[in-house]
Amino acid sequence: MGQPYCLLPFKFERFEDKFFVVNEVGEFNFLNPDEFVNLINYKLDKNSSTFLNLKAKQLLTDTDLEPVIEMLATKYRTKKSFLRDFTSLHMVVPTLRCNSKCIYCQVSSKDSKDERYDMDKITAQRIVETIFCSPSSTTKIEFQGGEPLLRFDLVSYIIEYANLLNLKYKKNLQFVICTNLSLIDENQLTFFNKYNVLISTSLDGHKELHEKNRPLRNLNNGHDIFIEKLALVRKMLGINKISALMTTTKDSLSLLPKIIDEYITNGFHSIFIRMLNPYGLAAQHNSVFGYGVDEFFDAYKKALDYIVQLNLKGQFFVEEFARLLLTRILTPFSTGFVDFQSPAGVGISGVIYNYNGNVYVSDEGRMLAAMGDDKFLMGNVNSNTYEEIFHSDFLQKLLKHSCLECLPVCSYCPYQSYCGADPVRNYVEQGDIIGNRFISKVCQKNKMIIGHVLKLIKNGGEDVNEVFWSWITNRSLEEIKNGGHQ
Amino acid sequence: MNGIVKQIDGGRLFLEITKEIYEKEAIIASADKFIDKFYINIDSISQDKFRVYFQPKEKIENNLLEGAILEFCNELIDQQLRTNIEKKFGNIRDLIVEQAFSPLKKK
Repeated sequence: MGQPYCLLPFKFERFEDKFFVVNEVGEFNFLNPDEFVNLINYKLDKNSSTFLNLKAKQLLTDTDLEPVIEMLATKYRTKKSFLRDFTSLHMVVPTLRCNSKCIYCQVSSKDSKDERYDMDKITAQRIVETIFCSPSSTTKIEFQGGEPLLRFDLVSYIIEYANLLNLKYKKNLQFVICTNLSLIDENQLTFFNKYNVLISTSLDGHKELHEKNRPLRNLNNGHDIFIEKLALVRKMLGINKISALMTTTKDSLSLLPKIIDEYITNGFHSIFIRMLNPYGLAAQHNSVFGYGVDEFFDAYKKALDYIVQLNLKGQFFVEEFARLLLTRILTPFSTGFVDFQSPAGVGISGVIYNYNGNVYVSDEGRMLAAMGDDKFLMGNVNSNTYEEIFHSDFLQKLLKHSCLECLPVCSYCPYQSYCGADPVRNYVEQGDIIGNRFISKVCQKNKMIIGHVLKLIKNGGEDVNEVFWSWITNRSLEEIKNGGHQ
Repeated sequence: MNGIVKQIDGGRLFLEITKEIYEKEAIIASADKFIDKFYINIDSISQDKFRVYFQPKEKIENNLLEGAILEFCNELIDQQLRTNIEKKFGNIRDLIVEQAFSPLKKK
């Protein structure tokens, strides 16, 4: 080869006083500037620990190239294995009606008595039949709203019809219902128990904040009802059949530790700290409860530190976005995440069926449609075939423009293998599905958080890294400290 | 001005960049990073020079303006380095991706 070693594909950036170098599958190293200069000028000492580390992480090689390429190809295939199954997440909106009136409602929900926004039974039937056309061996049907329990009859019809069809298709069939819990009762829970339906709910924090953000339309004590119904769900389905999501408003930013405490008090083991998405009322009233990327990042860092400290004191509790990033940074495993993967999951990992049978590439595509823009409409189950909906030129073009590997700036970004594309968000922010990274709020936020997590890995010491491994492996810190044995 | 950043009539600031050292791809990639703060125009003025003009979108003090343009120079070094090392292994990346998505070999 004419040189003492061969460089393998890597990306780099200056990182504090070091250089961060990372290969195509996310394996990385921090190099001193002189080590970096020696690396690219083929002057690394082949007996040095730096050389051996870089060789072990396949950033360079001094042996035959072919087996190294095979190994990297296998790792690359593993990282991208979320693509194997095609669309597995199918979100269904039985009704847009809702008995909550969240101040930031992103889905433009309707009054709980306005039945014009309910799905009809023929549409529900066609949705289930369309779902079963997907080649995916795993099918997850997730009920979204509005409040889907306002049409429990439709929810139960879809679950039973899907189970009937599955006698023939034999897929790994899963169900999730996203509900504010307020309407849930013992009959419904008996049904959910029978079909192993998981519950996803919303908890924005302590009573005052939760009721301010997520008031019920006709009742004032939403938080009390939530706590009561949470106990009922756990009693009838078991402790781990319910999870909760939090929406971060401007008020929440300074209260994140208190919100985390509320989650722990109510028996949850994780929280997903997400920025507010600019759809529906959240977009209309952005000046009231919106915030900038810097404000969010500052609050996120403090919250993450708070959570790490809780873990170090013996409380197992996870921040889910950090866990997703850590799994991507520290393991070879595949972690598809619909709006944070490359290519984007639009249509091919997840899809949403609105109450009227319209099919959108993502929940955000549906939210945008509710604001009057049908840009991300794939078709309608009542007038289009599966092939017309899922094999369209539109979807292929969208996917072509959502591979980070080919997008401007992302193509050389060292965080590429940890990050994801979101063409819907690019379109909303910039009027263009590709967008410019340097004015993209999502890109800014992702880069800040990925950089921060890398700093914690680099500078946090053994304790912090053990907490991170306990999150990745879902084991207690004590187990991690004991090498995996209790 | 410090000699790296130059000024023409009308106050427009510019840099001259040697083609022997820097390629068009590296200059464009660097410019992309600055377009939120500047209007940028890139021109080939001779066989061996590019000229890059900077016009701030908002009024800023001269020393801050010059500092921002000098940052462009440093960004240009990193981008050219990326272009250079990409040439050393770009074909290997293609082989990895091709092999990752090719059907499994039959034994």
